[in-house]
Amino acid sequence: MSAITAEPHVSAGHSHHQEPGFFHKYLWTYDHKMIGIQYLWTALFFLFIGGGLALLVRYQLAWPNTQVPIIGHLLPNTLAVDGAIIPGGYNMLVTMHATLMVFFVVMPLLIGTFGNFLIPLQIGAGDMAFPLLNELSYWLYVLSGFIILAAFFAPAGAPGTGWTAYAPLSADGKFNGTQAGQSLWGIAIFVNGLSSIAGATNYITTVVNMRAPGMHMFRMPLATWSLFITAILLLLAVPVLSAAAAMLFADLNLGTSFFKPEGGGQPLLWQHLFWFFGHPEVYILILPAMGFVSEIMATHSRKPIFGYKAMVYAMIAIGFLGFIVWGHHMFVSGMNLTLSATFSVATMFIAVPSAIKTFNWMGTVWRGSIEFTTAMCFALAFVTMFVIGGLSGIFMASTPVDLFVHHTYFIVAHFHYVIFGGSIFAIFGAIYFWFPKMFGVLLNEKLGKVHFFLTFIFFNIAFFPMHNLGLGGMMRRIADPPIYDHLRQLQPLNQISTIGAIGLGFTTFIFLWNIAVSLRNRKSHPAPNNPWHANTLEWTVASPPGHGNFPVTPTVYHGPYEYSVPGLEKDYLPQTEPAPAHVKLEAH
Amino acid sequence: MKVFLRILPFFVLGLSSAFATEYNNLYWAPPNVTVGGKEIDKILNFIFWLTLFVFVATQTVYITYLVKYRRKPGVKAHYSHGNNFLEIIWTTIPVLIFLGLAIYSNRVWKDLFRDPPPDALQVNISSYQFGWDFRYPGADGKLAAVHVKEITPENKFGVRADDPDAADDFTATELVFPAGKPLHILLNARDVIHSFYVPSFRLYQDAVPGRTISWVWFIVEEPGEFQLACSQLCGSGHYNMKAPIRVLPQEEYDEWYAGKVQAAAQARALETQNSVQTAAN
Repeated sequence: MSAITAEPHVSAGHSHHQEPGFFHKYLWTYDHKMIGIQYLWTALFFLFIGGGLALLVRYQLAWPNTQVPIIGHLLPNTLAVDGAIIPGGYNMLVTMHATLMVFFVVMPLLIGTFGNFLIPLQIGAGDMAFPLLNELSYWLYVLSGFIILAAFFAPAGAPGTGWTAYAPLSADGKFNGTQAGQSLWGIAIFVNGLSSIAGATNYITTVVNMRAPGMHMFRMPLATWSLFITAILLLLAVPVLSAAAAMLFADLNLGTSFFKPEGGGQPLLWQHLFWFFGHPEVYILILPAMGFVSEIMATHSRKPIFGYKAMVYAMIAIGFLGFIVWGHHMFVSGMNLTLSATFSVATMFIAVPSAIKTFNWMGTVWRGSIEFTTAMCFALAFVTMFVIGGLSGIFMASTPVDLFVHHTYFIVAHFHYVIFGGSIFAIFGAIYFWFPKMFGVLLNEKLGKVHFFLTFIFFNIAFFPMHNLGLGGMMRRIADPPIYDHLRQLQPLNQISTIGAIGLGFTTFIFLWNIAVSLRNRKSHPAPNNPWHANTLEWTVASPPGHGNFPVTPTVYHGPYEYSVPGLEKDYLPQTEPAPAHVKLEAH
Repeated sequence: MKVFLRILPFFVLGLSSAFATEYNNLYWAPPNVTVGGKEIDKILNFIFWLTLFVFVATQTVYITYLVKYRRKPGVKAHYSHGNNFLEIIWTTIPVLIFLGLAIYSNRVWKDLFRDPPPDALQVNISSYQFGWDFRYPGADGKLAAVHVKEITPENKFGVRADDPDAADDFTATELVFPAGKPLHILLNARDVIHSFYVPSFRLYQDAVPGRTISWVWFIVEEPGEFQLACSQLCGSGHYNMKAPIRVLPQEEYDEWYAGKVQAAAQARALETQNSVQTAAN
């Protein structure tokens, strides 16, 4: 199948292709690589907004009701009065921080940026199956971004019901007081969902139909595998959220009562719909990260991925189990107690494939020849942070312990270890790894190391104390912890955490600085085609690849991780090079 | 770097110990005071030691590998695509551990939510933006039934006026109950979802509008004062939605209860008198 389908696309060759003008090159482009880069810049822009909101949240928690330095007086009066954050404004900051980070930063970085950039390059295709749909998906994302930011300027301000927007608080303006902002939130989520659905359709079609000759499914790099499985999850989960967002909008504005009990609706229906999307979403946010880390680790250990097939099966298992564990967000929501028990068992089981992946990463570095580049440091730290985040998840998976830690800072610590220590670390690693392919220049390693170590240290200072805060009984989403007797004495922990967060904020500027100085060297120090001596197809073409990616359709002879094959001169064997007759490749 | 990582948890725990002087247990959590909470703390401790062991074991191996197999000139990496036997081992062991943990957890879960004992004191708790109301059975010891559809701003508890059990029920703005006796709470919400959260009780339960949550009961062993907190984001006043909880020795509780019953009876008598007078006039 793959042999037939990949051909016509690439054979066009685009040799007579004219250099497009600025508009068609940067703004309205059908080139998957440029679309990936569009996603990258836009998502980094949102990262700074989302991060800024996080700093305001942390400031309020450490020094409640004091004037925010420097920017306090610039904040609108829905957020702050006299420069000090007000409780309602605090709810808005929390809500917008989470919404932006999940839907406008991490998903677009993992899936929009690397999904677009990597999939065609790694499977040997000239572009995505539907280039127009692809660009449309990007602009829908931008549109949803404008809508969500507009919520800040809505009458009465941004939504303040949390990114989970539990009904009936979110479903009725008389309860939340921010009818306009909440409605904009619903529209933004809906439009953002359209963008995800369009992207996912495209990825699945491309992977299924456009693989180069010889690129069997089990010869695909794990990054592409992870993005493929993620796309399937997106396609199954996101429409449910879109539907829920539309129902929420109707409840808010059209007088329906899907979620309002006084009209016969069910508040728990929202939670079931939200988490039916929301739990696969958690894996949507981590699976691609796992794929990128596998890629970086194999390359920098000069070793085949330990248990390639086990890695793929583990991801498929995570994808499947991800759809039957949503109830673990609802153990204590008023849901049937026997259901809680069932969801608890499924949740325990989803930890197994994660454990398998961790052991296989350890197997990959075992007896390797490890080079500690910045990309590798982020990938290695990812594993440790993911282990912490995974292990803390076991506490909540146990229903009785969840009675104690539910909705406390323990869960905040848990998901930041997974989404920041996991996904964001992997994203940083992936940016360092694929930057030369994207822009034709390597990022500065020295600045990269500073960026890595500071990120690692400040991350742990910011988020580890949250475990203790949670076990100490600190609830999520409360604007003023010291008004509770049992939280007053834990306040120093809140301050330590905030200092870590401020450090993290400043560290990100080192990263930006690195991008800026490296891009300036684009002409003087161009990156080679294959700076890491990696095997996958994207490294066989120019950095950055030209329009149409592959001058000639590549033929694939073996799997992506043939490193350090005995009997070979060089320690890698690109997928386009057949193994010499005297060399025997191990089955994987 | 990795060394730092291993020290860090102890560093942070050490810091919190310096500040949190009152709570001298392993995690600086508020001490548990309920019977059921003991079982929860047992699982919590078990999972803590289990995960700590797994973390230390895996990270020791991992860091050892990273140091030992760092790039050295002339040393080539080992060529291996994996080992199916190892895959089976490290699939089976986690499956068994997690299965065991799930069974253990579900046993405790079932035990925590068995039917409340018949002698349990029933209190109806009604939550709203942004506060709590409590309703106690009066002299007859019977709490009038809740009809969620009839909950209105005026009829806070959804009680039917013609319900004979309702006549002597009284309300309070604090949760008071005797130590050592089971307390069975009936949870309602009048507007949006709130939650009943008391860390010292090891207890969290959402209160959902349109329904009554009737399966939560617990025993607090010793008298003490606590704070009831809402832990489900419920609007701009959420952060401050708390109520005092007083757990009293039985005699003191009986005194408080008798006082409340009497006050309620007087208030009702006054009301009747007023209405009779109004009618006479």
